[in-house]
Amino acid sequence: MSELSGWWDDYFWGAMVVLRVFVVALVMSVVFGLIGSAMKLSKSRIAQRLASAYTVVFRGTPELLVLLIIYFGAAVTLTSIVQIADPNVKFVDIPPFWAGAFAIALIVGSYMTETFRGAFLGVDPGQLEAARALGISNFKTFIYVRIPQMWRLALPSFGNHMLSLMKDTALISVVGLEEIVFVAEMATSVTVKPFTMYIIVALIYLAITTVITLSVMALEKYANRHLQGSR
Amino acid sequence: MKAKQMLVKAVGALVLAAVSTAFTVTAYAETLRVGTECTYAPFNYRTAEGELTGYDVDVAKGVAKLIGAEVEFVCQKWDGMIPALIANKFDLIVASMSITDKRREKIDFSGPYRISVGRLVGKKGHNLKLFNADGSVNAAGFKGVKVGLERATTYENWFKAKLPDADILRYDNNEAMYLDLQNGRTDVIMTNPMKAYLKFLSKEDGKGYEFVSPAIEEKEYFGIGVGIGLRKGNEAVLKRINVALETMTKDGSLEKYSLKYFPFAIHPEKWVALSE
Repeated sequence: MSELSGWWDDYFWGAMVVLRVFVVALVMSVVFGLIGSAMKLSKSRIAQRLASAYTVVFRGTPELLVLLIIYFGAAVTLTSIVQIADPNVKFVDIPPFWAGAFAIALIVGSYMTETFRGAFLGVDPGQLEAARALGISNFKTFIYVRIPQMWRLALPSFGNHMLSLMKDTALISVVGLEEIVFVAEMATSVTVKPFTMYIIVALIYLAITTVITLSVMALEKYANRHLQGSR
Repeated sequence: MKAKQMLVKAVGALVLAAVSTAFTVTAYAETLRVGTECTYAPFNYRTAEGELTGYDVDVAKGVAKLIGAEVEFVCQKWDGMIPALIANKFDLIVASMSITDKRREKIDFSGPYRISVGRLVGKKGHNLKLFNADGSVNAAGFKGVKVGLERATTYENWFKAKLPDADILRYDNNEAMYLDLQNGRTDVIMTNPMKAYLKFLSKEDGKGYEFVSPAIEEKEYFGIGVGIGLRKGNEAVLKRINVALETMTKDGSLEKYSLKYFPFAIHPEKWVALSE
């Protein structure tokens, strides 16, 4: 393991990049998922169509491709838009961190859309009718009646999406972010020990995903506590 | 009507301001952003201490110094190298990229700062007379010499054209070729000298072996070499880079860089400008 000396700090900072992308992408994908599912369940045909288009496109294209299109395509598009207003601007750059997190969030968000939609539909309609009968506002119904019952149903596949989101972060080195796969490649180039270097990456991912899995299990237990009976 | 126009303008200005703060809008400055892989030792790689180094990195720094620009390296994976250059993520590719006609349809190249050659490796002290003193091929010397090379490579094409009668053994990979050279199934092998040095000659197994030919530099077979890539339409910068590389070829800087990483020259001896 002596060939690892000197690379630990790179692995540490690489893991920090992975975690930052994970957190930012997770928050964004939950937002996308909630908006998407609300649109799919709304009465407006346009909103339904838009949300359907979103899930068809982003569930149906490879993650790597979406990442490349956003990173390279958006930079060129934004540059030409900004140049209309100010021809002196040479180029507009999207930082790789935001491009990477946004691309991953778009994809995982499209899966979350379907998960949340299913979970919202799983809430007993009688609950909503009861809320309406009691004169509770739509907004309050959403927060106090629908969300608490829906997230319990959404949790198992939500946990799956978190894991795939975590693993998608291994793609972001393609846009130049120095995460742990990239660190492993740099280290391999110098030490010629690819096995050791990639095993370290696998262990780091496994450690993070284990924490995610355990947290989801704990959350599920908490969400279903009313089903466990009294002791 | 007027109020509406004002509103449109105000919103436009706001959006623009938001875009410029959210993203780094970089105006023209004399900083050359250089795209490289950072994972391709010994040409561009990072040491455990975090220092970026290698032949490509030295060349990029040398060029920047000569044309009086700051240099900033951007690590980019190979697959996205040309798209990233075109999307303006950096200004130059200095990443051991071979100059090919196909790539030249998309981007411009400087003249070569590293050559593509083939070279023969054999046992030390065998005294094979494969080449004449002037560097030309001695066909008689190849009689009874078993030559190993990789299948479907430029080296095979070279042998077909120059020595159609040579006794050739074809391999699917380098490692098997080195093994058979050690086992005596072949007498010499033809390969890329840098690869041979890194994978074989510099290792324990390669101790008893050496180059038994000069570096064979024939562009029609092995290509022009490795150049600096840049977006099309930057003729002024391209010209300055070419002048800098020409100077570095002549004043021995490139030789100094190449001997830092290899015990032989990997740079062109004479400056070669690319034809249009």
